[in-house]
Amino acid sequence: MKKNRKIFLTMLFSAVFLVALSAPAFAGNVYKMGLSLAITGPTSDAGNPYAKGVEDYFRLVNETKILGDDTIECTIRDDQYNNDVTKRNYEDFMSQGIVFYLNYSTGSTMALKKDFEEEKMPVIPASFHAGNLIDSNYIFLPIASYSAQAIGLAEYIVKNNKKGVPKVALFIHPSAFGRGPVEDVQKAVAAGLKMEIIEVVEHGKDLDNTAMLKRLMSKGVQYVISQTVQSPVATMLQDAGRLGLVATSFGEPGKITFVGCHYTGGNDLTALAGASAENFYWTTSYIVTNEPSAGATAQLALAKRYGRDDKAANSHNYANGMMVAQVATEVVRRAKAKGKPVTKETLYQELLAMNGNNSFSPGTTVGPVTYSATDKAGVDTLQLYVAKGGVFKSIGKPFIPEYTSKIK
Amino acid sequence: MSSNRWLATGNYFTSYREEQRIFFTSLDRAVMGFFLLCLFVWPIFIDVDNKYMLVIDNILVAVIAVMGLNLVTGFAGLISIGHAAFVGIGAYTIASFSRVLGESHVLLTHAWPVMIIISGMVGAVFGAIVGLPALRLKHLYLAIATLSFQMIFQWTINFMDFFNQGQTISVGRVAWLTGTVSRDQHYIFWYYAILVFIVLTGFSVRNLLRTRYGRCLVAVRDNDRAADAMGMHPGFTKVYAFALAGFLAGVAGALNAYIYRGVGVESFTLHASITYLAMAIVGGLGTLHGSFWGPAAIKVLDLQVEKLAEWSATFLPANMNLATALKPLSFGLVIVLFLMFEPRGIANWWRIFRSYVKLWPFRY
Repeated sequence: MKKNRKIFLTMLFSAVFLVALSAPAFAGNVYKMGLSLAITGPTSDAGNPYAKGVEDYFRLVNETKILGDDTIECTIRDDQYNNDVTKRNYEDFMSQGIVFYLNYSTGSTMALKKDFEEEKMPVIPASFHAGNLIDSNYIFLPIASYSAQAIGLAEYIVKNNKKGVPKVALFIHPSAFGRGPVEDVQKAVAAGLKMEIIEVVEHGKDLDNTAMLKRLMSKGVQYVISQTVQSPVATMLQDAGRLGLVATSFGEPGKITFVGCHYTGGNDLTALAGASAENFYWTTSYIVTNEPSAGATAQLALAKRYGRDDKAANSHNYANGMMVAQVATEVVRRAKAKGKPVTKETLYQELLAMNGNNSFSPGTTVGPVTYSATDKAGVDTLQLYVAKGGVFKSIGKPFIPEYTSKIK
Repeated sequence: MSSNRWLATGNYFTSYREEQRIFFTSLDRAVMGFFLLCLFVWPIFIDVDNKYMLVIDNILVAVIAVMGLNLVTGFAGLISIGHAAFVGIGAYTIASFSRVLGESHVLLTHAWPVMIIISGMVGAVFGAIVGLPALRLKHLYLAIATLSFQMIFQWTINFMDFFNQGQTISVGRVAWLTGTVSRDQHYIFWYYAILVFIVLTGFSVRNLLRTRYGRCLVAVRDNDRAADAMGMHPGFTKVYAFALAGFLAGVAGALNAYIYRGVGVESFTLHASITYLAMAIVGGLGTLHGSFWGPAAIKVLDLQVEKLAEWSATFLPANMNLATALKPLSFGLVIVLFLMFEPRGIANWWRIFRSYVKLWPFRY
């Protein structure tokens, strides 16, 4: 009897031991992803909340078991806006065996394009440069390109200009990021958009834009389309405000109406420019948190859940980061639902299939995310906002620029 | 000569020729041989991630560039703060071929050693041209002239469509005896390729310094009028110092283009020039092996500061931006500390160490 009991106990402990050993096998799969971006250094005012958006959403995915027992492990590394460091980070991620990569700057996305092609790595950058998509199959823009944004703004100017052909200046960042849409806007004008481009200004690190603004005024410029980051726009708006040049209504005669693409506006601009940001027109595909929507509520709840401050919680770059994490999670979910293994190949296929009835609405954007083999820009619709009383308020319905398809 | 060919017990030179030898003892030669052998065989035994191989390749490329800078600034005493532009000239030579012939043209992919030499030669031509003001300018004024070259270079690249306005110009994968070098072999392949270039250029520079041309560099640095009186040609010496520096920088630039498989202007900015100068200072100006210590020290420091900045960004508020300041702060601090406390650089620590062990175990 004693012997049988001993055998029974031995078997029981062995079984428990074996189950304990095999437990990790039931703990779910871990899908590795990587994000390299400027958390510090140049453009970190955008990169920092973006990183928080990505980090928080993946934490939410893992904690609330959106993917069941499976988890996403996204390593976030700071590259200080340095392409060489981004390349090193990417190599690090590749060694870790990532299945999806999130990149940041235009320069590094362009520099790593060949690597993405060779590795067949699906990539969503924070850069909306249309050039990212040239000779590339694996880069997917989260929203409409800078070109589409600038053309959308140009179309709005043409439609709402009160008298004659509007005279426009482009105020751009001195880099690939800034120059991206210039040629496309020029093409749109050549294709029939009735607008005159008076000057393309590549800004430096000027702390005073008086001379430039007076020059633009002397040339009769009525509108300035900005494609850069917030700080130079804030400097320009403050100088324009001091000189009394800012139009109080769209297209006010004798004044300049300032408009800008995604990275020029948002809460960061109002924080930097203060009252001078009033009447600045801005376009993006993201929602803003001061206007009630399910996406805004989800964004604020996510930020609150992980103790983010108000600045990050209300940042459109936080929404930007959150949205790319949502898309990455969604393709993993879809691949799993179809019983496919989660690999870079299957995630790529799921991205390509994200259209029609399979389009994805993350809530943080003003339209659905759609991708296909011929359309690698996620959210095609744009929303125009205007700064009033220190916050950006939407004007009209989301729209799709007409000339983006005409110039293809 | 010492009666013991393996250990030096003192200086027994009886001719200038003996004093100019590369290796003073057989032990020196054996140690160098063993060291070189180790450099070539360690990757066979140690598996290193691509991330770190890229760092190592970067250090080696910087070694070649800093060797050039050391020639012009360390040995010839001509301050150059536009060295990254010369490196950029080499890289953009490769990029130009890529633009004109296509990134996978056989010249770029198969004749890459020739392309690297051509890049070096283009760098040398630009070096000689920039060196012309050195005939009239000295000290701070020369520094400003080289700075102007840096600015002109950046402006040209940034605004010319041919150079893709500074955006990345791709370079194809190279081929070797075993076929196209794959992604897995890429960094290790270039490690060996750069190592060969380093050995060749290192011994060439060491030999140059033993010749009258090498001694001219030092003589002109110490007193160009005295050198002139001794029959040397200070003007020619200055120009060829710049040309040599340009050649080595051009080679480094071409290697950089091949490693990254693309060329973008961001890698050749004024900040990169200052970094090369810092490497030369920290390594030891006017010493050949300082060109090896400096890049290694600065790149490793960079890597560690990056980690520290990344770590500090996890708890510091974004608007405080202390993490952003850490890199330039540490970088500046290292230069200032070396200038204050060890102006002869890490090379001097090596000299002290060698003196210490020279007579080991038989000290006086």
